[in-house]
Amino acid sequence: MSAPTVTSETPESPETPGTEGPGGADRAETAAAPAPEPAPALRAALSRTWVQAAAVVAVLAVAAALPLPGSATAFPGGPGEALDGWLKELYSWVVSNRDTSPLFVYGFNYLSVYLGSAVVLISDLLATLTWTGVAVIGALGAWRLAGWRVMLVVAAAFAVFGLTGLWDEAMLTLALITAAVALALVVGLPLGVWAGRSDRVERALRPVLDFMQTMPAFAYLMPMLLLFGIGNPSAAVATAIYALPPAVRITSMALRGVDKGAVEAAESLGSTRWQMLAKVRLPLAKRTIMLGVNQTIMLGVSMVVIASVIGAGGLGDAIYQALQKGDIGRALEAGLAIVMLAIAMDRVTGAMGAGRPLPAPWQRIAFAGALVASLAVFLLPTPLRAPDGWPRAWQLDLAGPVNAFYEALKDAIGGFTSLVGDWTVVWVLEPLHMLLAGPPWWLVIAAAAVLGYLFAGGRAAAVGALSLLAVGLMGQWGNGMDTLSQVLLAAVLVVALGLVLGIAMARNDRLAAVLRPVLDAMQTLPPFVYLIPAVALFSVGRVPALVAAVVFALPPVIRLVNDGIRGVPANTVEAARSLGSSRGQLLSKVQLPLARSALLMAVNQAIMLILSMVVIGALVGGGALGYDVVFGLKQNEFGQGLTAGLAIVCLGLLLDRMTQGRKNNA
Amino acid sequence: MRRTTSPISPRTASFALKGVAAASAVAMLSACGGATSGDVSGSDETVNIAVNGWVGYEASAAVLAHLLEEEAGVKVEQKKLDEQPSWQGLNDGDLDVIVENWGHEDLMEQYGPDGNDTVVDGGPNGNIGTLGWYVPEYLVDDKPELATWEGIKDNTDLFQTPESGDKGEFLAADPAFVTQDQGMINHFEMDLEIVHAGSEAAQITEMQERYEEEEPFLAYFYDPQWLHNELDLVHVEFPEYEDGCAEDEDDVSCGYPEYELNKIFRKDFAEEGSVAYQLLDNWKWTNEDQNAVAKMIADEGMDPEEAAEKWVTDNGDVWKEWIPADA
Repeated sequence: MSAPTVTSETPESPETPGTEGPGGADRAETAAAPAPEPAPALRAALSRTWVQAAAVVAVLAVAAALPLPGSATAFPGGPGEALDGWLKELYSWVVSNRDTSPLFVYGFNYLSVYLGSAVVLISDLLATLTWTGVAVIGALGAWRLAGWRVMLVVAAAFAVFGLTGLWDEAMLTLALITAAVALALVVGLPLGVWAGRSDRVERALRPVLDFMQTMPAFAYLMPMLLLFGIGNPSAAVATAIYALPPAVRITSMALRGVDKGAVEAAESLGSTRWQMLAKVRLPLAKRTIMLGVNQTIMLGVSMVVIASVIGAGGLGDAIYQALQKGDIGRALEAGLAIVMLAIAMDRVTGAMGAGRPLPAPWQRIAFAGALVASLAVFLLPTPLRAPDGWPRAWQLDLAGPVNAFYEALKDAIGGFTSLVGDWTVVWVLEPLHMLLAGPPWWLVIAAAAVLGYLFAGGRAAAVGALSLLAVGLMGQWGNGMDTLSQVLLAAVLVVALGLVLGIAMARNDRLAAVLRPVLDAMQTLPPFVYLIPAVALFSVGRVPALVAAVVFALPPVIRLVNDGIRGVPANTVEAARSLGSSRGQLLSKVQLPLARSALLMAVNQAIMLILSMVVIGALVGGGALGYDVVFGLKQNEFGQGLTAGLAIVCLGLLLDRMTQGRKNNA
Repeated sequence: MRRTTSPISPRTASFALKGVAAASAVAMLSACGGATSGDVSGSDETVNIAVNGWVGYEASAAVLAHLLEEEAGVKVEQKKLDEQPSWQGLNDGDLDVIVENWGHEDLMEQYGPDGNDTVVDGGPNGNIGTLGWYVPEYLVDDKPELATWEGIKDNTDLFQTPESGDKGEFLAADPAFVTQDQGMINHFEMDLEIVHAGSEAAQITEMQERYEEEEPFLAYFYDPQWLHNELDLVHVEFPEYEDGCAEDEDDVSCGYPEYELNKIFRKDFAEEGSVAYQLLDNWKWTNEDQNAVAKMIADEGMDPEEAAEKWVTDNGDVWKEWIPADA
């Protein structure tokens, strides 16, 4: 699946909160370059494709309307039950052999001890420095690595941690992310180097990385618990697994992108392979590799709330606890702290990757001196240490006003939104669900194959049909169709909204400037924060899950549309204007067709991100596959959680292949 | 916020010392040539309490943590996680006690004396847990028969929502909780569709919103729970629980049993019989006690530590007898 591939391999992925990263210019070029002017014949073919696709949907609709018995439409249950039974046995074996099997005694348990100690060591260091020490040394480090502007961002983040009264939680989260990211990089960077030097390794790794990115983290939290026990070790490993893929992908891409001339020059000087790598390739690829590190950190940050389910404390846990009490304001405070942590880490690593000129020697000496001095000041019992923590008097109550606003909002629009929600369920979601769940299962698979062939060619058809078949074989057909209907509707909404907002942003620089930080915050704010308000406004069920998925998936789509349109060469736009095109014609005949590859990527990204919200949506009534994953985790139903997670991966495979367009097959 | 329980408490010993300790612990493990999952746990003087995700539990844990630290001088770590992983934590030695357990016979079979033999039942904690179906009081004022299963069965259309289609909606709770609702719906042939709220937070939000509008709802809920302080809910009556009536999960002919909530100890922790264990073993309180603390946490927005401290200050006569003589 190359949806995640595509994003991660673009130098500045949409997942990066930072927008002023160094990749901006290249990104615009890549978006515009490969789009040829569509010929009239192609457009005719396209319209025929749509007619054929509509016919397929009509067949499904007719079949759905037929009064078929459940036995004719439902997928046979046998294989799914067999698989579930087998997974249960595996689970019982692990539970009773954890302390005797050499695999655990010499393997996983060791790793667990080391990881647990690493997190404790880092958090103890941060606690020993006390908040004054962390703030001073953190600011110094940010200044040295990334300049004074970034230092201000880091200082702002520290201020938010303190003012919200979440300093300790933030430090624990920082410790966990540091350990997890270190683990991800220790494994990921060498793998990336290997993949960058060998095509065979690259090909072998790609599906594994795709799988890691689409498998919902909730589904592998359970196995993590079994292998590594509760708390920080499991949380660190789960976070590392989730955050690993961009480190591998971007490192590999960076090595492949190294200037051929430089390599040849070094070769002609008789460098050994190792010298080539250490002295030429890696230094030249450093800038891009840092982007991979940056992405790894960002993904790590986005795991903190989920990791709190298995006993990792910190900011994620603060959100969880606040929501449990219906305290939206408090949850938002913790969410804000996570956003600031993410932005600060993003800016620091982003600036490191940008290759700032080395500071003058006197600055470096001054920095080293200041660092040693502050370590001494804060590790020794001096008055500057603050062992009692951030003063309580210096805390701001954001929660109160936020809760007041939330109540007012509910009163103002709650009635209207719940009507919209009801309408959506009755007239859109349920008919769409019946369209997929009503016809016999084999007809749905056949329809998927035909649609796959129409939109993306024979390979996509085969992969799509097999993925759906796998969903059925794992005993998840009914849930799979329910989830698929929700994902499709969310995708339509995200793409429609993303197009409108992206086009508006591309046309208006001032709007773009206002939207950018909003998009940053939307992408880093944990979705958990807006889940409960969505329930209050739309009432429990599929609609709040839909709303949360749309909010989550929208920002990258807006960005991709904006970038795509801005990437259209200025002289092409000028030429069209001089021929008397209206703004509407300019958009529909020139800008959108030329931005085609960026738009396709936007659709693909939208679907992948929505899929990643399936499990989280289940926490507010999304049901179906997501519910099974959560149920599996919480009730120790290993098989149920795992098959539901795999079914989500299969849906991802199907939708990804269908939305990549024909470019790979043409 | 949870300053006393955070692993990075300011009271933490010098970082350098700890570092040496951790490194040597790892080295010792290496020397022994293997690590069992039990080795993962921290030092002996710390009591690790599992904290499951509802406020009542948090209230119990906060009071116990306060007493253990202030009266028995023991260090306490509270680890927040779900019910099932907590049992695994006891098994692995990461945790010492679950202070409010609801049933879970299957887990007792897996980890108890007949299974891995790593956990023991610590007896009742004094709280009585009620699970069941609840409707808001204003509905019962209107139609008194709604307090019984027969009344619900005759009025399922009252609970119909877009999510439940042409059936009545039964609002189910967090997937972590013990349920037998589908079996009851099947047995009593009720025209109800289960809608999974998916989390306790979502379910409570939904109930609060419907309550505010005086709309009908039918939900799985439980007591002790702080929301009862805010909403007047009526427990729907079903035939009383008796042995065997809930054996077949697809056909349950009775309501939920009452749970004598109990404590679960890590076996070695109980056998060592430390002061901390004795205090936890002596501890027993009522639903009113727990609700008093839970209300301060959930309704008045106090930190669990503050709430616990206040309760301890005001209720010396209740907790004095839990403190072991040699503490």
